[in-house]
Amino acid sequence: MDLIRLESAVIGYRAPLLPPLDLVVRAGATLGVLGPNGAGKTALLKSLLGLLPLLGGKRVLPQGRTPRVGYVPQRDRLDQSWPLTVLDVVMMGRTFLLGPLHWAKKQDVQACKEALDEIGIGDLAMRPIHALSGGQHQKVLVARALAAAPELLVLDEPTSAMDPAAERTFMELVQRLKGAHNLSVVLVSHQLTAVAGFATDVALVDRGHELFEVGPASEMIQPDRLGRLYGRTVSVAEVGGQRAVVIGGPPPGSNGSAP
Amino acid sequence: MTGFADFWAGRDLWREPMLAGILAAALLSYLGVFIVLKRMVFVSAALSEISGVGVAAAFYVGSFVGIDPHAHNPIPLWLDPTWFSLLFACGFATLVSLRPGHRKLQPETIIGLAYVISSALVLAILNSPRIAQEAHAVGDILFGNAVTVPRAQIYALLAAGVAALTVHALFFKELLYVSYDPETATVQGVGTVRWEILLNLAAAIVISVATRAVGALPVFAFTVLPAAAALMLTERLRGTIALSVGFGVVAASVGYYLSWIFAQPTGATMVVVASVFLLPGLLRIWRRRDV
Repeated sequence: MDLIRLESAVIGYRAPLLPPLDLVVRAGATLGVLGPNGAGKTALLKSLLGLLPLLGGKRVLPQGRTPRVGYVPQRDRLDQSWPLTVLDVVMMGRTFLLGPLHWAKKQDVQACKEALDEIGIGDLAMRPIHALSGGQHQKVLVARALAAAPELLVLDEPTSAMDPAAERTFMELVQRLKGAHNLSVVLVSHQLTAVAGFATDVALVDRGHELFEVGPASEMIQPDRLGRLYGRTVSVAEVGGQRAVVIGGPPPGSNGSAP
Repeated sequence: MTGFADFWAGRDLWREPMLAGILAAALLSYLGVFIVLKRMVFVSAALSEISGVGVAAAFYVGSFVGIDPHAHNPIPLWLDPTWFSLLFACGFATLVSLRPGHRKLQPETIIGLAYVISSALVLAILNSPRIAQEAHAVGDILFGNAVTVPRAQIYALLAAGVAALTVHALFFKELLYVSYDPETATVQGVGTVRWEILLNLAAAIVISVATRAVGALPVFAFTVLPAAAALMLTERLRGTIALSVGFGVVAASVGYYLSWIFAQPTGATMVVVASVFLLPGLLRIWRRRDV
């Protein structure tokens, strides 16, 4: 079952950013989106979610409705000026589920507490958000996304401010949640190894070269494809049962500048 | 007579203005929590000035059809300054909600432009030959004086307050979400623009009506000072709202009393009293850097 399909979609704000593209978010899949800075990843994500109207083509919702989305934004910290507790922030995730004119009930509070427990920060529920560490902030964002009872979890560069160990732990958490809640995941990231290790499908995006390719991760996480994407030599290796991606210098014969 | 006895003896004079001040302070101190947290305090100042342009424009237009602001003759409904004021304020609130801007013209610049241009427009209209003779009277009507408040303005303030608080009571979770994290709210299907418009319209209506009742300076002060003072002292949203409203109400009543006793300008005295509530929070921050 597909959750969202883009068919011959032309994405962009005023002018097309990429050639017309086809993209499917399959139920139960993890779609990784890779590309250099300014490649059009965010525009692609917005178009996929229906937040940015297509300039051409169509967005198909095979279920007849937009799937429920849990969203983890690209942010290393929540706004700390607000006098909110962790539970207050997670409760925001229920807003769409409840709808206007419906107040949160006990079961909504319970669902949010369970989301916090599942992430491993149930003991922080009543703590002010300004008293959290960076890693805890990220977990609160995931708990809020889970509180929305999502079918599709969208992570926009969630580990950009994390050290490698924290990134690994975070991605393992996402993988566990995906299995436990039967989620589909869209992961936009610069962390090649994270995408290589967790994505089932990968989209490569670069507006500078009008490049858009999508396919199974095993086909897309290849040195030649990633090399074209980043204009560098790329090595892909199995290390300790995991795929690791290393970006090297410019390809032989190039002038050394990135594309 | 003692100061308080003298004050009490004059209660027929101050009852309505003080009630208007307290009502305005309570409403604005509540809305101020959102305004301060959304980092849009100058929207409040701009709204006061823009609703002033509406009032001035009503008199200016009225001068063409022979309306005298001094006269107690009924003003045609379509020329009522209240409607002009609300129309201008609501128009600006809607515009701000749409987040206008450009990389070279940031939203705060637009708010600043709206403030300064509307301030100049009010002065220009008031000093135009058509209504210059009534400029002082129009100025009081325009920005209130917190000393004399017609009962109709108290009713208008009550109606504006009921409307704004009803919106907040019914849609609090939506207003909170889009105020705190509009990006995520949008992605999760909570229509950000319509809630932003509703939130800003509620504030615009109260600010517009309150400006005419108690004046621009107290309105700006009550949207900023009590909320800022409360935010420094509390870690819970409900506590912040309760404390902010409490500070606002006390500042309005004590300020009015002190202005009477010491024969000082009422609006300014209220503002000075409200600013005193900043001290505990500043002291707390100074003593505890982790707050």
